[in-house]
Amino acid sequence: MKLENLIILFVAIPMGTGVIGVLLKQRVQIARVLGVLSFLATSALAVGLLVHLRSHPTGILVSQMGAWPAPFGISVVFDSLSGLLLAASSLVALGCYVHSFSTVEPTAEKRYFHALVQLLMFGVNLAFLTGDLFNLFVSFEIMLMASYCLLTFGGTRLQMTQAYKYVLLNLIGSTVFVIGAGLVYGMTGTLNFADLALFVAERQAQGRALPPGFAALSIALLLVFGLKGAIFPLWFWLPDTYYTCNVSIAGLFAGMLTKVGIYAIARTFPMIFAHGGSDAAKIVMPILAISAAFTMFLGVLGAVSHHNIRRILAVHVISQVGYMVFGLALMTQIALAGCLFYMIQHMVVKSCLFLCCGIIERHTGTDDLDRSGGLLRRDWYLALVFFIAAMSLVGLPPLSGFFGKLVIVREGWDTRWWLSIFGLLTGALTLLSMLKIWSYCFWSPQAAAIERTPENLPNRGSLRPAYAGATLLVLVALFLGFGAQPVYEIAFRAGRQLADPDEYIVAVLGPGALDEVAKYRATSAQLAAGRAAEVTP
Amino acid sequence: MTIILSICVAVTFAVSIYLMTGRELKSIAMGVFLLGHAANLSIIAMSRTPVRHEPQLLKGAPILTEAFDAARPMSSIVDPLPQALILTAIVIGFAVMAFLLSLLVLTSRKAGTLNVEQLAAEAMQGA
Amino acid sequence: MTISSPVLRNSMRLILPITLLYAMYAMLKGHHEPGGGFIGGMIFATAICTYRMSHGALAQLRLMPVHPRVLIFLGLGLALGTSVIPLLLGEPFLRSAVGEFHLPFSSHPFHYASAMAFDLGVMLVVVGVGVGMITQLSEELE
Repeated sequence: MKLENLIILFVAIPMGTGVIGVLLKQRVQIARVLGVLSFLATSALAVGLLVHLRSHPTGILVSQMGAWPAPFGISVVFDSLSGLLLAASSLVALGCYVHSFSTVEPTAEKRYFHALVQLLMFGVNLAFLTGDLFNLFVSFEIMLMASYCLLTFGGTRLQMTQAYKYVLLNLIGSTVFVIGAGLVYGMTGTLNFADLALFVAERQAQGRALPPGFAALSIALLLVFGLKGAIFPLWFWLPDTYYTCNVSIAGLFAGMLTKVGIYAIARTFPMIFAHGGSDAAKIVMPILAISAAFTMFLGVLGAVSHHNIRRILAVHVISQVGYMVFGLALMTQIALAGCLFYMIQHMVVKSCLFLCCGIIERHTGTDDLDRSGGLLRRDWYLALVFFIAAMSLVGLPPLSGFFGKLVIVREGWDTRWWLSIFGLLTGALTLLSMLKIWSYCFWSPQAAAIERTPENLPNRGSLRPAYAGATLLVLVALFLGFGAQPVYEIAFRAGRQLADPDEYIVAVLGPGALDEVAKYRATSAQLAAGRAAEVTP
Repeated sequence: MTIILSICVAVTFAVSIYLMTGRELKSIAMGVFLLGHAANLSIIAMSRTPVRHEPQLLKGAPILTEAFDAARPMSSIVDPLPQALILTAIVIGFAVMAFLLSLLVLTSRKAGTLNVEQLAAEAMQGA
Repeated sequence: MTISSPVLRNSMRLILPITLLYAMYAMLKGHHEPGGGFIGGMIFATAICTYRMSHGALAQLRLMPVHPRVLIFLGLGLALGTSVIPLLLGEPFLRSAVGEFHLPFSSHPFHYASAMAFDLGVMLVVVGVGVGMITQLSEELE
């Protein structure tokens, strides 16, 4: 069996499990076992393929759906960028899913909860794998549809009213996406990423300008992806969304939803819409840089000003997204690699913090900082997990956040030093907000307000899955810190292939795809050499 | 044809935006559905004969048997891709419509109103 | 939501079988011509829902005695199954087998593609979703 064909299993496994989950509405235990098996399988597959890719010549596996050749059919591409994100997202999904066994209400579990989590991951995995713009839209929609349902699960009035904001905003975003995809097709005649990159490369090699309106189009798509990724000034939907739903689901959302938007920018902009010095790039890159500064800094200020754990963590997602946009705004190989590393470490760490928050809520009955305290003495293990995750988020060496920030800030220092300063400042304020949770929840003596009766004391046994989920994620975070070297090797390769998409084009479209471009490049190089020869005498 | 289509797109957009500025969630939902249709129409308006790649695969397929001009093969083909896109977008719009309608029913049952201002006031109290 | 109109009742008795037949036809011809699983399923679901309007929920249940959930499960399972089988044979996902066979009583070759089963799955899903959605919403409103 060819290895290339296997990559579709990232999509087929969650979908199949979700389909079975539709039928197993009442059989909660079987659905749980199947769900865990599904996430284990995708995680193992992702890690296995990543290890295999390290010795692969190009590091890109391509499968053409139904064997239709590339620009006509649907291509599914597993390269270093998708691979790292798939591995991280599968592990995060596994952790959050296991955690949900102790937080989700039994009534919700019988209403397609398991199927919806699988379908959410189906959408996320498809988004990471797909090789064309339209399937990116489809996968966004699958993911969003599952997230709408998971968001309104409790059916409380607050959830309903908050859901409208998220749902309507995303619907309008999706409409702009469809129109944008249609415009891309109208202008270039293709939707395949590799073919689009080839189109841009051809135009550049020939010295011809891109079609008029291409820059406007890239701004429209930036708007859509930015909305999903919650970058400044499109973030206002995020804090309320993560506040009203189940805490394990909030952890899953915090890991997945924004990252898919950032991934879409990382996949399309360096390769196509803002590829090396085009007109669009001259407009997009300053926008991204300014947006990154505001996203980082205002996000962290918002987090510092809040006073309950879930809100702090939710607003913090925005600030961390700013670092990723920072990496994207530089758009160099190394910065893109740093952005990718930061994305995966943030997925793991932020979800882990949300899972810890879920356990804290079970201990204290609230997520208000004033009314919780004394947890260090009562539950040292939770304190340890939270501390490692929080310090990873802050970026204390040798934990994972440090390596992500180091590369991005270092790379930005020469060209956009003011962004680097904002980044460092944000890091300091992140430390402040994490210490706030730490000192109120763990260090301070027990708040007097809580009455502990045997009924509301959390049952240790029922919390066991929650600890297992959080432990899994904190182990992954530790691995990303201490094993940053191999991860960065893959990330650098991904950054190189994004900045220079030739390998990607050849892998998807076939060996002869770049011949025309190479001819043009050779002639223009000759011309340049001739001009240089004329100048010298 | 393109002019008629673009007028249609413009009118649909205008109506949907008018509906979305309403005070009732019902009219906002209808506006969102119409917005999807406007987007689909605009994709039709953008479709044309394929220019970048001639679809080699289609030659000799039964779909070309009638009105197929062998001398100018590209003139008699309708670009199939926008149609596939629109079909997919319609399916997705269908699912979104189902979700929004059931959300509306649930909201009106829980809150007793679908007026945006009343719901917002309630949300302020709740938060 | 039942509309008690004798005209609708009697005409529906005539229209229903024709519509269901046409839905199957639209699904089958979708391989080469306009049509396909989604459109066939939509026509099918519309017919069932109109029948529910004219004859009531009980009659509709007698006509289609399965829960829409089961239809969705079967449809998705069929579609996913047909697209996974090529993987086991070393072909890419969704690869369709095409061929011709001769029926014993006619000399005309019959063209088939395994994508047909996929389309049938799509149709089942669309019928399940369409009927289930209308049923749920009308039950909520009643």
